[in-house]
Amino acid sequence: MEYEKKKVWSILLRLYHWAFALSIVTLCITGFYIHDPWTNSLTEGSASFIMTWMRFVHFVAGYVFTAAVLARIFLYLFGNKQERILEHLPVTPRNIKNFFNTILRYSYIKGGHDADRLGHNVLAGLTYVLIIIAAVFQLIGGFYLLFPEVPIWEQYGVLIFGSQQSARYIHHLLMWLFMIFALIHVYLVIWNDIREPEGLVSAIFTGVKFHHKA
Amino acid sequence: MADTVNKTLDPRVNRRGFLKGCTMAAAALGLSESMVPKMVEAATSAQRPPVIWLHFQECTGCTETMLRGAHPDLANLILDIISLDYHETVMAAAGHQAEQALHDSMEKNAGKYILVVEGGIPTAENGIYCKIAGKTAMESLEEVAANAAAIIAYGTCATFGGVQAAKPNPTGSVGVDSLVFDKPIINISGCPPNPVNFLGTVLHYLTFQRLPAVDSLKRPKFAYGRRIHDHCERRAHFDEGRFVEQFGDEYHKQGYCLYKVGCKGPETFANCPVARFNEAGVWPVSVGHGCIGCTEPKFWDTMTPFYDRLPDVTIPGSGIVDDADRIGTKVLGVTAAAVGIHAAVGIGKRLIKGKSDSEG
Repeated sequence: MEYEKKKVWSILLRLYHWAFALSIVTLCITGFYIHDPWTNSLTEGSASFIMTWMRFVHFVAGYVFTAAVLARIFLYLFGNKQERILEHLPVTPRNIKNFFNTILRYSYIKGGHDADRLGHNVLAGLTYVLIIIAAVFQLIGGFYLLFPEVPIWEQYGVLIFGSQQSARYIHHLLMWLFMIFALIHVYLVIWNDIREPEGLVSAIFTGVKFHHKA
Repeated sequence: MADTVNKTLDPRVNRRGFLKGCTMAAAALGLSESMVPKMVEAATSAQRPPVIWLHFQECTGCTETMLRGAHPDLANLILDIISLDYHETVMAAAGHQAEQALHDSMEKNAGKYILVVEGGIPTAENGIYCKIAGKTAMESLEEVAANAAAIIAYGTCATFGGVQAAKPNPTGSVGVDSLVFDKPIINISGCPPNPVNFLGTVLHYLTFQRLPAVDSLKRPKFAYGRRIHDHCERRAHFDEGRFVEQFGDEYHKQGYCLYKVGCKGPETFANCPVARFNEAGVWPVSVGHGCIGCTEPKFWDTMTPFYDRLPDVTIPGSGIVDDADRIGTKVLGVTAAAVGIHAAVGIGKRLIKGKSDSEG
């Protein structure tokens, strides 16, 4: 079977992906430390500022995460065809068909590939939209925890989460959501790459996929 | 040595105590020294604001803290600068006489009195869980609030429902601002709150003729504007990563940070590290116990377990209540198992059917 090279992902989308992925890894590790510091400096005057450093790295990664989310939202509106939000939601007959086809394929009931799509399947697209929505809540919660006295964060924080403690609780639970998502995401990408050799894994580095020649 | 016994019994405030109280309140409000004379002037003026103090679903701990703390000057000062017309704990009148006092004060000072509410207001089944003089707390509050100039909700019960609003909140207890919407309300939360914050609020009202600036939970910013954590004397230990691992250990004796034994200072807004309590200069963290976050909404649900950082996760319908991380690890494990099974099914199918399946 012959394949042709097709440009799918723009440079901004690929940058977004890696900023998002790496910041999540950093945020989870430092976040776990902030939640339950697993070290104890013990000696006074040892010039160890480990908690301060962990928080600093967490905050820097938080800004990277925020920038990534903003870039993704920009691409949902102004990206190329594969990146726009309408391609990701089960709102058109074509997308609804793909959504159910994908579920059947993932259940090993159906084989093949919808030849009319270059980008995400709709199940993946919908999941990513939900993850971005969760990410927006995560970053609002993060800024509320960091700047509780700044009026805008205070107002939105109290409105959405209530107290700081509730915000912290939801912030922690959402972290688990991102970790579980990452596991499923990586597995399904590799699974798809094996099933349908269109170069899905390398596509997020190169932006290029290989498509069946019609 | 100070004659503490007679001082406690003597209802009068001496000048020294009076100035001290005013200075403390000015300091709590963050005002400069030059404002103290103005506050003294306001506090000594003849126009003492009439106050009606209602008790609902509560333990009277807020009043107790104010009246019987090791700071008689403060209590006397508060009672001196306000005209306390009705207060169930301290008034001499009882029964119909007391009701008459309440009624008279409400009529005489309509639109001028300050209403102080202590205790949550039960709303379930039309509020039958708290009745005084044949009226439910809801009815009393509605009646007295109608002609109040301002309302001070004193203590976490009156501000956010408090302990009795803990899940499942059988009596439907709520704070004043869930029932009264058309009056200025100041929430002085805490279980119990520091009397200095009450004095500060009242003196602010007397001196400037308006209530102090509040945050989005209606708590005065001078007292609830910063997190405990940000003014904590043990903060350096936190930043440098020195923690108490468990109560009574070597690090506890060294006075290290109580974060790992569940201190809620990072999530709690209050001036406890600055104002402190009882003139002895103590507050929970200074004596080796973490903050339990008593000034925050839903504190009983969100701050417990007191010795863990975060509340447990309850999975509805399953009866599972566990630490978020233990549940998270399990969910992640189940997901990994599902991934493994999914992959195994794919490999198995391919082995049985041959490679052509993937193409078709």
